[in-house]
Amino acid sequence: MTVSPFPEVVAAPVFDIEQILAGIDTMAAQRPVAAQIVSVANSDDTNAKALARILASDVALASRVMKLANSAYFGMRGRVTSLQFAVTVVGFTTVRTMATVALTNLDDESRLPENFWDVTTSVALAAATLAPRFGERPQDSLCLGLLAQMGAALLNHNDPDGYAEIMASQPTYRGRRTAETRRYGINSLRLTAIALEQWGFPTTMTTPLMEIDDYRNSDGALLRAAFEVAARLTTEDYDEVPISKITCGRLGEDDLVPVLDLVRADAAELRRAMLGETSDDDAGEWVE
Amino acid sequence: MSVSISAHHEDMVPPEIVSTVFYSATVSDTLAILVAEAAHGGQRLTWCNEGAVKLLGYGVDDVRALPLDQLFPSLGGGELKLLLRRERSARMTVPVRTASGAVIDAVVMTTPDPSGRMWTMRLLSTSNEQERALRATADAHERRFSALTERSPVPTLLSEQGMRLAHVNDAFCSLVGLRAEQLLGTGWINTIHEDDLDGVIEQVAAALDGDEVEIQARLVREDATVRTTVIRFAHLFTPGVGAGFVGTIEDITDRLAFEAKLAHQANHDPLTGLPNRTLLAQYVAERFERGTGALACLFMDLDNFKVVNDSLGHTAGDELLVEVATRLRSTVRPGDLVARFGGDEFVVVCENVDETAAVALAGRVSGALATPMRLGGVDVRPYASVGVTVQTAEHESADELIRDCDIAMYQAKAGGKGRITVLDQQARAEARDKLRLVAELRDAIERREITLTYQPIFSSAEGLPVAVESLARWEHRDRGPISPATFVPLAEESGLISGLGLLVLDETCRQIAEWDHLLGPAAPPRANVNVSALQLDDNLPSQVAAALERHQLEPSRISVEITESALMKDPECAREILQQLRDQGIELAIDDFGTGYSSLAYLRRLPVDCLKVDRSFVAEMAGGHPEIASAVIALAATLNLCTVAEGVETLDQAAELTSLGATFLQGFSLAEPMTGGHAAAWFASHVETSR
Repeated sequence: MTVSPFPEVVAAPVFDIEQILAGIDTMAAQRPVAAQIVSVANSDDTNAKALARILASDVALASRVMKLANSAYFGMRGRVTSLQFAVTVVGFTTVRTMATVALTNLDDESRLPENFWDVTTSVALAAATLAPRFGERPQDSLCLGLLAQMGAALLNHNDPDGYAEIMASQPTYRGRRTAETRRYGINSLRLTAIALEQWGFPTTMTTPLMEIDDYRNSDGALLRAAFEVAARLTTEDYDEVPISKITCGRLGEDDLVPVLDLVRADAAELRRAMLGETSDDDAGEWVE
Repeated sequence: MSVSISAHHEDMVPPEIVSTVFYSATVSDTLAILVAEAAHGGQRLTWCNEGAVKLLGYGVDDVRALPLDQLFPSLGGGELKLLLRRERSARMTVPVRTASGAVIDAVVMTTPDPSGRMWTMRLLSTSNEQERALRATADAHERRFSALTERSPVPTLLSEQGMRLAHVNDAFCSLVGLRAEQLLGTGWINTIHEDDLDGVIEQVAAALDGDEVEIQARLVREDATVRTTVIRFAHLFTPGVGAGFVGTIEDITDRLAFEAKLAHQANHDPLTGLPNRTLLAQYVAERFERGTGALACLFMDLDNFKVVNDSLGHTAGDELLVEVATRLRSTVRPGDLVARFGGDEFVVVCENVDETAAVALAGRVSGALATPMRLGGVDVRPYASVGVTVQTAEHESADELIRDCDIAMYQAKAGGKGRITVLDQQARAEARDKLRLVAELRDAIERREITLTYQPIFSSAEGLPVAVESLARWEHRDRGPISPATFVPLAEESGLISGLGLLVLDETCRQIAEWDHLLGPAAPPRANVNVSALQLDDNLPSQVAAALERHQLEPSRISVEITESALMKDPECAREILQQLRDQGIELAIDDFGTGYSSLAYLRRLPVDCLKVDRSFVAEMAGGHPEIASAVIALAATLNLCTVAEGVETLDQAAELTSLGATFLQGFSLAEPMTGGHAAAWFASHVETSR
């Protein structure tokens, strides 16, 4: 099947995308620390000490970074006791991703599409696990997975009824993207890509989001595979797509078995680490 | 760079600067700049510079006629609005269609003017030469790095961020027997032995913090076998990503096994496989606690082992030792140590036994050993003498315990073969006393506390002193004077004789030199120095020469006295050494002549000058038996040797010996041994009176 990556016919936008992105800027004003982290974490001369210092001002965010650093996923098993070391363990990209999650209200589940975090953690874990097979860094792929659905969250937030309709009528992510383009003039992953690019995330993270629907393009293959894993795990009666077809032949069904097991086992913990609330009192001790 | 022109405030930027900037932007061919304008519900291009023309391949007029959605074919109507935002600048990486129809990737940066109706757009092709070159370099680095690690025989782990691995090489996969995908992420942690995991994670934490660290840790392979490794962690930092580490692993399992084997070889007897003396000492020292009395030792020495070796050969001897080791091991209690002490000596060490139990064990051991075994076609019963010692409050160190056990074994042996003896307290005291005395003698020699006395020797013809014999004396701090008959044999047994002999030789020479200085011609012409049989080796001539040289004396001032028995041990060798001394011009005398059964024929061939008639023969003369003294003196005369009669107690004896033809006389009645100082005074006055 040949797929055109960019639909020729575009319905007139019924929705002001510009306004949505402007909304992100407003959010930044509400979470200045997160906004600052998003802007400095990518800089070449950033170090863990500087990041930890900024992070310390947002106790809730600092708590989450600590929690994530101590999760089984990072392998430190409760040994991370300082915020600076937590930043070292999870890496700057992950800190930045967590700041982005906080900045865009992705941690407020009441405002998100149904099933949002189940899918997100599955996509993230699958992408991280499969990353070495595609020559990517697992950490970056984890972050990409965690942020991929940000566009969907924005659309849902600004048009809850319309987006619920799309969710209900389109069981597959691909079909949903087509419907999004029809309704908003842009699909949710492209919206994510644009927002990330706006904040200076590297093109290695935005390109897969742009290329996801072009099955011939290997740049989007890892993310396609990750969504496929997530769909198989979270969508009832899901009609599986052969994995070799969407990964330009890089993966076979056998390769997916251990990944499915792992994601099924670890997704809940990653979700707790990403969102888990810790009392404000605890966080102060971690700040050096 | 983006250019926006504002006409609102003339005072902000001088017009000539604006025009300069504008001109440079216009003609620059490295910057692609376009201007778009909102018109009729859409946007259209209104201007472009040289750089844009060059990048896109359109003519200037063509650009102006170009609809924006043709320039950015991938952007739908909604997305174009995101690029051309009214309040802020925007940046997107999008495909741009050129005049040839080809699509190139470019970063597009847009800046709105204050009216919100015009935008400056800057296009930066992501595929320009420089960027391609940079990417190629980065790719090459990446490839080199991965080639280096992936093909390296050194097992390597690589994490770019935190504990989670991004790369693991083939060598590590084969080391632990797992595939890369099972190890990536935190999978590698599962290969670390549970007991070592905390330490490893601590070191990784230190490496992430910037340290270079290493740790010894065990890795559990897929097949559950364990490899011991040293893991070295180095810090890795990627800008914009964070801290990671490189871990290199050295498998030291084989090396440790080899070291353990070497250690075993160093501590075990290769023939029987039993712990050796070193390990025995270590073992006892580890368990010895002063005053507790918990240890017992059995010291065994096989009786007649030399007979087996001599008659049946060393192979049979070795076979016997192996069999003895086997029997000992199977007879002692579990947990008791059996060691080969050396030769045919074995030691058993037991914990928590009293004397009765230790003796009972010794009995069982003897019984087990005495079972006949066939060796080289002969039935042999290996009997052993066993010494038993149980630790008492008096034992101050582990060494003492083993030493006592050794003493007990000697007592057993002395009492007849195949016996078991518990250490006798008196024997223990004596043996210890002797050991103490040896230590004190060693100190006395080192501190030159052994002094010399000098007994004059007279010419029988003139009755004048012609020489002295130097005699060693030891005045013990607590025990008073100790007889040479006690300490000389002690020095011979304990290897101190050479030091003692050198002391006597050197001190004698020093004394002669001092006498010369004090008395001039009245000084004793010669001194006789006793040399032990054990000193009679190739070193003696050079030692004597050195002593003479040191004190600048003629060789004729020294006479070396050697006992007859010393000469008979290895006559040929003795003869050679004596000849060398003689060649140096040193006189030689045979001490105690007549007591050592020397062959007369041999005596004739020895290069000696003088025989000393033993004091026992001189003493016999008082009982009316001058026969032996007379015969010795006559024999010496026949061989053309002079004689010194020792132990002359009375003037009558002196007269009788003179009449028998003795050349020289020495004895208490004539002059007693005296210190160097007294001898000087004695010689001074004696020579004075004799003149």
